[in-house]
Parts: sequence; C-alpha cells; structure tokens
Amino acid sequence: MICTGSGGVGKTTISAGLAIRAAELGLKVLVLTVDPAQRLMTSLGLKPGSDEISQVVAPQLTGQVFAGIVQSKKIFDDFILTHSGNDEIVKRIFNNRLYQQLSTTLSGSQEFTALEKLLQEYESEKYDLIILDTPPTKHALDFFMAPRRIMNLFQDSITKWFAFPDMAPKGFISGLVYRGTRTVFKSLETLTGAQFIEELIDFFGAIKSIQKVLRDRSELVEKLLRDPKTHFILITSFDAAKLEEAKNMQKQFAKLSYRLDAVIINRAFPLWMPPVQTASLVHEQNDYAQVLKFYAEFRNYYSERYQLYEKFAAEIESKVQIFRIPDYGQDVCGLDDLLSLSERLASAQSERAH
Amino acid sequence: MAAGHKINFVTGKGGVGKSVFAAALALAKAQLGEKVLLVEIGESSYYQDFFGLSHVGHAPSASGIGFDVALWSGETSLREYILYYLKLEKILSLFFENNVMRSLINVAPGLNEIAILGKITSGIRKVGPPLEYDRIVVDCYATGHAMALFKAPRGMMEAIPFGPMGRHSTEMYNTIKNPEICSYHIVTLLEEMPVVESLELGAAIFSELAVQPQILSNKTLHPPVGAESLNKLIQDPKFSDVDEFAKYLKASLERQDKYLLEILAATGQSSIADLPLIFSSDAREIVGRCADREFVRTL
Repeated sequence: MICTGSGGVGKTTISAGLAIRAAELGLKVLVLTVDPAQRLMTSLGLKPGSDEISQVVAPQLTGQVFAGIVQSKKIFDDFILTHSGNDEIVKRIFNNRLYQQLSTTLSGSQEFTALEKLLQEYESEKYDLIILDTPPTKHALDFFMAPRRIMNLFQDSITKWFAFPDMAPKGFISGLVYRGTRTVFKSLETLTGAQFIEELIDFFGAIKSIQKVLRDRSELVEKLLRDPKTHFILITSFDAAKLEEAKNMQKQFAKLSYRLDAVIINRAFPLWMPPVQTASLVHEQNDYAQVLKFYAEFRNYYSERYQLYEKFAAEIESKVQIFRIPDYGQDVCGLDDLLSLSERLASAQSERAH
Repeated sequence: MAAGHKINFVTGKGGVGKSVFAAALALAKAQLGEKVLLVEIGESSYYQDFFGLSHVGHAPSASGIGFDVALWSGETSLREYILYYLKLEKILSLFFENNVMRSLINVAPGLNEIAILGKITSGIRKVGPPLEYDRIVVDCYATGHAMALFKAPRGMMEAIPFGPMGRHSTEMYNTIKNPEICSYHIVTLLEEMPVVESLELGAAIFSELAVQPQILSNKTLHPPVGAESLNKLIQDPKFSDVDEFAKYLKASLERQDKYLLEILAATGQSSIADLPLIFSSDAREIVGRCADREFVRTL
C-alpha cells in the first residue's frame, strides 16, 4: 500500500493509522516512513537516524505492527557496497562529490531509495502488508518521476559518453557526435569548472559495475508498482488546489498503469450541527451565542469547500473510494491517538454511491 | 531604482500557506506604491490557477492585482544565463535538447540552485536583463530544499573559487546575507511538524547567513471566547449542541498556545506576526485580507 500526496497533508500520520488498523484486523504489517514527527516516531518505537525496523509495542492489537525509517543515504551506500564488486570502487564512489550529492535528500534519491527499500522488504516475505509513506514532494506525482531522473543518469549511453572523454571515436557520424559532446563539455566546464568535470568522469567510470543491477532493480520496482497486489492511496487536504492535483494524479496514474484505490481527504471539518440561523443571534453577546456564531462562520466556509469536493468526487472514477477524515484540532502523536485514528479510519464509510 | 531593490524570501513547511503570504506581501507593497515582482520557483505555476491567469512563465507578466508574477526554474534561469552571460546561443540547444546534459544539470551539485539564486539576485548584481522592480518577493521552496538553495552559493564558492562561477557565487553569497537587501520569512502553522521544521530552518539560515529570519504563524484560530468559557460550555448540559465544536476549539487553542510558546522560547521574540484563518475560498479575497494586516504593510 503506497500512500502518496503532496507535502503537509498528513501522509505519515495516516500511514501509521492505517498500519494500526491493519494490525487490529490481525495482519502483520510494516510501515515504512520517511520523515516522522518526533513524537510519532517515539510512539512507533523508532529512533532518529536508525534504519532498524522495530516492533510497535501495543498488546491490544491482534496482529503486529513493525515500523522503519527510510534512511536514504544508508540505503544508497549499502546498495553500492553490495553491488559494486570491490573496495576500490566503493571508495571511489563514496569519495565522489557527485555521489555525495546524489545520495543526500535532493535530486530524487530519496524517492529512489524508498522504492528500493520497499522492494527489499517485499522480497523478504516477512509481512502480510507493507505500507510505504512517500517522501514529501511539492506535487504528489513528483515521487514517481524522480527515480526516472536518477535512472536516466545510469543509462548505458551516458556512461559510455563519460568513459573515454579524451579518445576521439573513428568514423564520420561518431566523430560528429563526439565533436558535439566536446562542445557541450567545454561549456559545462566554463560553467562549473574543470574539477566538476573530472568528478563526473570519475563517477561514471566507477558506477559502470552497478549499472546492470540498478536497471534490473528498477524493473522489479516498476513491476511491483503495477502488480495487482499493490494499492495506491492518495492523501489530500480539503482545498481546491489539492483536490485539483488529486484529479490530475488519477489521470497520470492511469497512464502509468498504477491502481489508485482510494482518496483520503484528511482533516476535513466535521459538521457537528445543522446550519445555525445567526440572524437571531446578532445582538446576543453571551458565550454560547458567540460560539454559535463562530460555528456558523466555520460551517459556511466548509460548506463552500464541500461543493468543490462534490465536484471533485463527480470527476473521479467511481471505482476509486473516497474517505473523509475529520480534523479534531489535535496533533496525532501517541499510540492512543493512533488507535483512535485507526477507529476513525475504520468507521469512515466510502462516500461513493456505488 | 532596480539596482536598489529588496528581496523577500518566503519559505516554510509544505502546506502551511507560503504562497498566500508571499502574494499578500507582494500585494501590500504594491498598494503602498512599490513596483513588485512575485516570483515562484519550479517547473509549474501555482499562481496561474490561484489568480486565474492565462499563463505564468519566465518573463514577468501582470497578475491583474497590481504586481507582476514570474515562474523561474533552474532550466529557464540557466538558459538565460548562458545566453546573456556566456553568449553561447549556438550551444543552447545542444545543452538542453541533449538527454545526457539534461540529467546532468538535474544532478550537478547545486547547479540548479545557483541558476535560480543567480536569477533572483541578478538585478542587484547587474547581470543579465535588468529587473526594473523595487521589490522581489520569492515564494521559495519548502524547508529542506530552501536551505539547499541558500547554501548553494557558499558550496559553489568553496568548490570553484575561480572563474566566472566563483565570482558569481561570491556575489550571490554577499547579496543573500546582506540584511539591507534580503529578508527571510518562515510561515508556519501552530502545529508540531511545521513548528519543528520552522525552528530548524530558522537556526540553519542564521548559521549560514547570520540573518535572523522572521517566523510568522498562519491560519491561527481566534475564537470569540477563551478556554475558560469554552470549558463552561462543554460542562453545561444546556449547551450540549455546541459541545463537540467547543471541544475542537479548546483543543486547537491549547495546541496553538503550546507551539506559540515554543517559538517564542526558541527565538527570543516577544510575539510573533500572525495571519488568522480567513473564512473564504476566494484567492483574491484571502490575499487581500492578509495584505491588510498592519505587520505585512510594514515589513
């Protein structure tokens, strides 16, 4: 189960809540998260900086919940250690500035490593269900684009390009291509300096040995993402821009042959009371009337949004389930909070007519 | 006037309302008579839909409410830089239509960041096409990525101290740490993760640039009655219909106060600038009402 969504919508919390819910149903669950809040981490039994998978202590659950943090750099480093063949190459790669940049949180490596970790845990066959909480991105879809960017770097053609930068190839066509790439090289050198080019050449020389395994792994990841057992859940907040994004996401998913199963609209405002007639309260200054008037403002505000939501629901394919999780004005952090979130998730009825 | 303009960087955790505050700041300053450019960073425009504009691109265009908007990405900024500075028009297509180059530009350490920051500070540094504005408001990346942006010039300076790149990054570094020119605003909600990230980012900006960023809270709830009155309502069975709502308000108030105190303790500020939750779904109305806040006008 892959939980996607753009930054700030509550992916991590919902992922943890779903894990607890699955364990209540008796499953052995692993939740892989990227950047949990300190207190959520504590209640999941996780330690900052550690990539160990730990079991959540919750005797009230029939099943078991395990949790782990995706440590991007560690996974990347281990990948190099396992697949690059010899210590000399490992050292060369680790010392390379380009690799150091690649393996940090930027430029798509977090997405790449999250999926590699997912694949590893899937292959271990230890769990009934794995929930992946995806790294924060500006747009939910960035998550699926980033690994492709990384993969582009590891194509054969690029490695060849950098493998013998000083050796002019024979033949007219390759000579032309060579001269073109030399020009690009020269201008890149003007922009970034000779040292950077040296590092590039060194990097692509060193990674040749892991190219094949990297390609194989990404093919497996791609296969896993398209597997009927893999479910995507989009978590979004209750506002126009995010709902619009969710709609686009569904279209993109269809193109990629991924299955979007559910949209969870998080922190929707709960409509506790029927509409309040505020006209009769205008001159009332007591606390009760003040709170009622305030509620009316809230209610109007969210009713407007509800119309946006209805439009959204009408445009989303009917096989995609839609759930709304109300906001209770509290951070979800302790295990008790997670248990009650799980209850809320369990009682959330899909709002589709079908 | 262009050479003397101010730059406001607006950042914060994803989903906190950075873009709304950035637009409000742009609007408030435009209303006070300044010529303002609101810049968003990245490949796709948020303001285009937000303000219902037909297009927002690299070249500034009118927002329709008194200031201009532009969308600057690493690629468009780098293109412009190559064109204006290196005057290498011929290799432009080689650079950008070549897949290898594309992926390299994407991962070359700091290159995208330098290109964007280069563009943002280009008016001050008098490089490239002139930016005839009194103020540039930048709707910046979210926390983690924003720091990568602010760190890029120093990283580049250290890696490549000589040549045009070294010179440009030194100038950029000097520009972004000059408090006369640049100020930093971190938007947060009074909730755990946004506050934690904002405080971390604030400290990181200070240690990188020796400039104290302003932390401001967004979507703050201001219920008409205090916690004590809410308690009374919750306890009194006569008012059971507002029970759940009063509990919600009380929980929200408690959370807000807790994180407010956390921010004050960490920053040593005596109060923080605050944008209340505005009950409107209309982008222009929300931005307009935020722009009316006294503190936004005097920033």
